[in-house]
Amino acid sequence: MTRQPITPGNNTFCSNETPRRSSIMPMAPRASQYGIAPELVKKRLAEYPEMTSLMVKDLFDDTPAVIYPGEGGLEAVRAAAEKALAGVDMSMIKPGQSVNVLASHHGFTLLGGEPYAELLRVVRDVIVARTGVQDIRLRAGVGLRFRETEEYIKRYKLDVHYKNKARGIAPIDEGIAIKTEIGTLYGIKAVYDADWIIHVHNSDVREVHFHRQVDRAVKPFGMSYARIETRSTYHWNMGPRGANFTARAIFDSEFVQSKYAFTAFLSMSPSGVVGVRAENDLYLLNDQLTVEGLQYYGKIMTLLGEVDECIVGLDFPCPVPYVFAAGVIYANFVGANADLFDLDQGLPPYTWYTEAFYGKNGKPLIEGFAPVNPAIKMVVHNYAWGGYPSAFFSEQIPTVVVGQEQAELLNADPQNLQYMQYSVVANALDDAMHFAYKAAKTDKVLIFDGAMGGINVSDSLAALLVEKAPLISARVDKELMPKWLKQRGVTGL
Amino acid sequence: MKLISVKPVVDKVKCIGCGICAKVCPSLAISLVDKKALVNEQDCRGCGGCNQRCPVYAITMEKLEKPYTVAVAIDDLPYEQIDALCRKARLNPEQIICYCTATRAEEVAAAILKGAKSPEDISRLTGVRMGCKVECIQPMLRLLQAAGITPVPPDGYQWYGLTPTVWDIPEAVKAKYAKRGFYFDEDIKLLDKVADAKAKGGNS
Repeated sequence: MTRQPITPGNNTFCSNETPRRSSIMPMAPRASQYGIAPELVKKRLAEYPEMTSLMVKDLFDDTPAVIYPGEGGLEAVRAAAEKALAGVDMSMIKPGQSVNVLASHHGFTLLGGEPYAELLRVVRDVIVARTGVQDIRLRAGVGLRFRETEEYIKRYKLDVHYKNKARGIAPIDEGIAIKTEIGTLYGIKAVYDADWIIHVHNSDVREVHFHRQVDRAVKPFGMSYARIETRSTYHWNMGPRGANFTARAIFDSEFVQSKYAFTAFLSMSPSGVVGVRAENDLYLLNDQLTVEGLQYYGKIMTLLGEVDECIVGLDFPCPVPYVFAAGVIYANFVGANADLFDLDQGLPPYTWYTEAFYGKNGKPLIEGFAPVNPAIKMVVHNYAWGGYPSAFFSEQIPTVVVGQEQAELLNADPQNLQYMQYSVVANALDDAMHFAYKAAKTDKVLIFDGAMGGINVSDSLAALLVEKAPLISARVDKELMPKWLKQRGVTGL
Repeated sequence: MKLISVKPVVDKVKCIGCGICAKVCPSLAISLVDKKALVNEQDCRGCGGCNQRCPVYAITMEKLEKPYTVAVAIDDLPYEQIDALCRKARLNPEQIICYCTATRAEEVAAAILKGAKSPEDISRLTGVRMGCKVECIQPMLRLLQAAGITPVPPDGYQWYGLTPTVWDIPEAVKAKYAKRGFYFDEDIKLLDKVADAKAKGGNS
């Protein structure tokens, strides 16, 4: 293994005509109680000369056009949202009534967060214009960082736009029992304390290991809008392919249906915002987004499963499993040695069910489930937050954490008390990479830094991905998509 | 088992006495005295839920001078009892039930066999539900149920109750969604296989 950076210029990868690009500078570190102070992030992985970028469109020529990032900026998102919402029936919302606009944290991590924030602004503006109601509240749910959306509400001035009626909500807040066709589940009371609810989300596939792209559009009803009892049901009581039914059960309940008005989604692809979709019928939208999610993300996820060996760099302001590259989160790359969209495969290499099923001797309690992706030889944790139980990752994969401050942050995080037990600390990113190259014995690097429109990788990995992409594209089109669609009972658009 | 390394400190000037910290505390370590939050450090397990929900940011988490560990031993009980309780709850005794603390079902079962009667008791004894505060409430309640214990929810938002499992889903519901990507029966087989698997032992 020798590193031979390709110098910028007219180079191409292999015999393919894909030009070599500079790496894409990722989003700057964010000030947050869940991560280290931005000034402590001294260097980004994308800064190394041996790193390059691949645009998703260069890998797959059927990648959809995006409206953001793009020349139209946020105005394009606003225009698309207004157009989509124009087709939605809002006549059920009467003057004097109250409306809760429901949001979730994840949208604010996409493309700097502004597109999702803009959609939330437009939704309010259009409701006011169409119905005349003024009592419109923003209720922004979270994952396991209970003040995360509080931070976003302030960052994007949504409290101002929502006339001081914006608040973060958490799964330990006061709950409300919801009778469903499988029994009683629990929602967060503040989600449902208005006459009407509006579901505003995004179609980025994100946790495919959990929802398996089944009812993706419905998921927040069982997660960010739900109490701990429901979320625990999802992750403990239902199984790895039945989990997301908790969301459907809640959404279908008489109680939720009595309050539900409509849905608006930021339609995402690995290269950016494709558009905005809005519907009264959530299941119609759900079917559309199921297909689009498989189409838009299926190829890049399958392609990353072809990586034979690499060092992974974590370099984005969110918890370890959620840092992402070309729309694929690190947790899904940890399971990329299996087809996470294939529902015939019961237990992904990483999901909480899988994590639970490792016995005291460190081996699976049952035969027949895949280990974590053996292509990941080492992880360089340059910048990622706490606030999500992540010790499984450092226990399974050699991990170098950059900076003592970051190690201390994780040690003080009640969700990550064991993360550093399995990690080593490097003083600086240069030291971490030096160690990683020597120990991992590969020059292939895959960076999860949320780069917009593409993916930052080493030259060596870029060559592999460019070479494999056409074969993967054909395989997904001809073999995998028909199977994935059939398993979900939906047809192509 | 959990290492307790931090504790909440209440700023009495900022505290408005709303009591939300007490209502969300999984170990019932907070009470209101003279309309101010008071933390019982003996019961606190450092989850930070109070810090995360205080509406006026009156609670900060500070490092303990002497961190300590809470754990329930399993080797002073007949393992058959632990094993039987876990399997009755459809859990393998060796499976992890708290991802934040990597606590296994056997330790929670041991806590129950030694007298824990509620999720709060279990949390104080083992430290489970003291990380994310979310995900492990159902396996805790399932183990209590398997032991014949029906705990009463505290007077707050700590937890409300048991919820359905995949084994409870009516056949009519399964049939209704059979072609929508939910593999209930296959998941039941998988979960049963894990629950029935022989414990492998070794050091945790």
